[in-house]
Amino acid sequence: MSLLMTLRVALKALNRNKLRTALTMLGMIIGVAAVITMVALGRGAQSSIEDQIRSAGTNLIIVNAGNWTVGGVHQGQGAATTLTREDAAAVRDTVPGVQYLTAGVSTRVQLVTGNQNWSTRAQGTDVDLPLIRSWTVSEGAFFTPQDVASAAKVAVLGSVVRDRLFGPDEDAVGKIIRVRNQPFKVVGVLASKGQSAGGDDQDDTLFVPYTSVQRKLLGITHIQNITISAASAAETTRVADGVTALLRTRHKIQPGDPDDFMVRTLEEMASVRTETTRTMTALLASIAGVSLLVGGIGIMNIMLVSVTERTREIGLRMALGARARDVLLQFLVEAVVLSLAGGLVGIVVGFAASEGVRRFVGWPTTVAPEAVLMAFGFAAATGVFFGFYPARKAARLDPIDALRYE
Amino acid sequence: MDEPVITVRDLTKTYVVGEIRVPALQGVNLDIARGEFVAVTGPSGSGKSTLMHILGCLDRPTSGQYFLDGRDVSKLSRDELAAVRNGNIGFVFQGFNLLARTSALDNVELPLLYRRGGMSARERHRRSTAALEAVGLADRAHHHSNQLSGGQQQRVAIARALVTEPSILLADEPTGNLDSRTSMEVMEIFQRLNAERRITVLLITHEHDIAEYGTRVIAFRDGRVLGDQAIARRRAATGELAALAPRPS
Repeated sequence: MSLLMTLRVALKALNRNKLRTALTMLGMIIGVAAVITMVALGRGAQSSIEDQIRSAGTNLIIVNAGNWTVGGVHQGQGAATTLTREDAAAVRDTVPGVQYLTAGVSTRVQLVTGNQNWSTRAQGTDVDLPLIRSWTVSEGAFFTPQDVASAAKVAVLGSVVRDRLFGPDEDAVGKIIRVRNQPFKVVGVLASKGQSAGGDDQDDTLFVPYTSVQRKLLGITHIQNITISAASAAETTRVADGVTALLRTRHKIQPGDPDDFMVRTLEEMASVRTETTRTMTALLASIAGVSLLVGGIGIMNIMLVSVTERTREIGLRMALGARARDVLLQFLVEAVVLSLAGGLVGIVVGFAASEGVRRFVGWPTTVAPEAVLMAFGFAAATGVFFGFYPARKAARLDPIDALRYE
Repeated sequence: MDEPVITVRDLTKTYVVGEIRVPALQGVNLDIARGEFVAVTGPSGSGKSTLMHILGCLDRPTSGQYFLDGRDVSKLSRDELAAVRNGNIGFVFQGFNLLARTSALDNVELPLLYRRGGMSARERHRRSTAALEAVGLADRAHHHSNQLSGGQQQRVAIARALVTEPSILLADEPTGNLDSRTSMEVMEIFQRLNAERRITVLLITHEHDIAEYGTRVIAFRDGRVLGDQAIARRRAATGELAALAPRPS
């Protein structure tokens, strides 16, 4: 009997018991749809994290002052005092591919104005910071190179700090705030950026010239970090390598000795986060995969019942000339049709569920084509695997016994 | 004498149950010619069912030879036996064995689906329709088997046996589940097919009055042929049906 005819016979047999067929398919539908939806959820989370990091700039390079060891005791990252504004200037002038650069020194400060006060992080930076971090100034202006050169007591407020100190209606630009009891003049307010990929509120901050933090707030001469943007994302790694080489030379670090600074690119940080979500996706998908397996066992169960119930039919078909392989193929095709049809419906349901989650729950979802293929392929394989045993049982029946079966 | 359809020589069949050997057939010899209507009778346990299974190529003999249409089929493989069943033998069972929730036409078509070498859908349909016409059920072609009476179901089963144009019709207690009038109607079809188309009919029955519709009766007992004789006063189903009062409708 040809495969096409076998398929038609199988479809007729399935059609004879519609409710059972539908219920058996349901197991497959749920399994496939669950895999697709779970992977879509994971993928959505992954790509939203990637998007956030990309918006922060994949061409970003951050140099942090490194470990400093005093008499064998590690002082922690950033404790080294060897990173200087001269290092920053040298990087800007000699490493090719550097687009913008800013030195950075930050410290936690208490802000007071009138009867309001607020604790936040004062970030000492250079004037290029808004260009590197894509900040836009909503009121006033960012501080100027002259402010940096003269360590002027000027401040640019994040929107959260502005609201805490002045409220939404009052003008902030031109006001004086006290930073560690020193008067700073507000020259600008930044537009809100919201949470970072790490969950911090980026608007709860205060920018001042890094020279002012060094001289007026901390009384130090070194800097804590340098933030660099490469001219293009493709050049990021090369620029990072150039910075490392230059700083080792400037700090007179012998070959083989560890760096006293740390160069990181956002790409590296992004890949760590992406790895985390990928693990989560795999976990979700494997849990959903279990339901696919259960669906497969459901098919096997029904096929076994079906073989027993249709023993006389099998005997009859054999008496009428069906070979063992015709019977085997018929039941195998029935199982595969069940699982494939269930798989197809499952794909549709999976797409719908992913879209539903995106629209009504608000979680980002991205249906992964390979998850669809994998779930469907697994469904088909399940049909063959779990259909084979019942089909072989049918094919091995003795026609005489089968015909006599009550 | 016409050419033999069935030739059986020294046929034995022994079942082994655990350590006990149960002889079901003990040296059976048989010649059946084309166009005969042979009734095989005997009490249960006489070996007539075993003979039926071997003649129907559902089972193989322990020893001896069985020639069907001149071909020795006693040592064929399972698949080869399936091909012989499909091409040379038409089965009619006591319990009809129709597929439920399936139209009469699809039931009749079933053996053609297993035809070696395949057959076009159009040809299958033509043959199935013709077979249903031969048993007088052309107007019921699209009825499902469960919408038909017992007699009609058995006639669909006969059409299914006919559709492959087999050498022999093998009927195992075909009237066992039917009342006497319906039995008569079924036997009328067998007699007509036998007379008009010269189809060889092998009828297994334990009812003597049913056996008398044949031309020859072979009696079985303890796995041996006990008697083999022509039937002197053959019953004719057509005449008996006409004599009966018309079926109330």
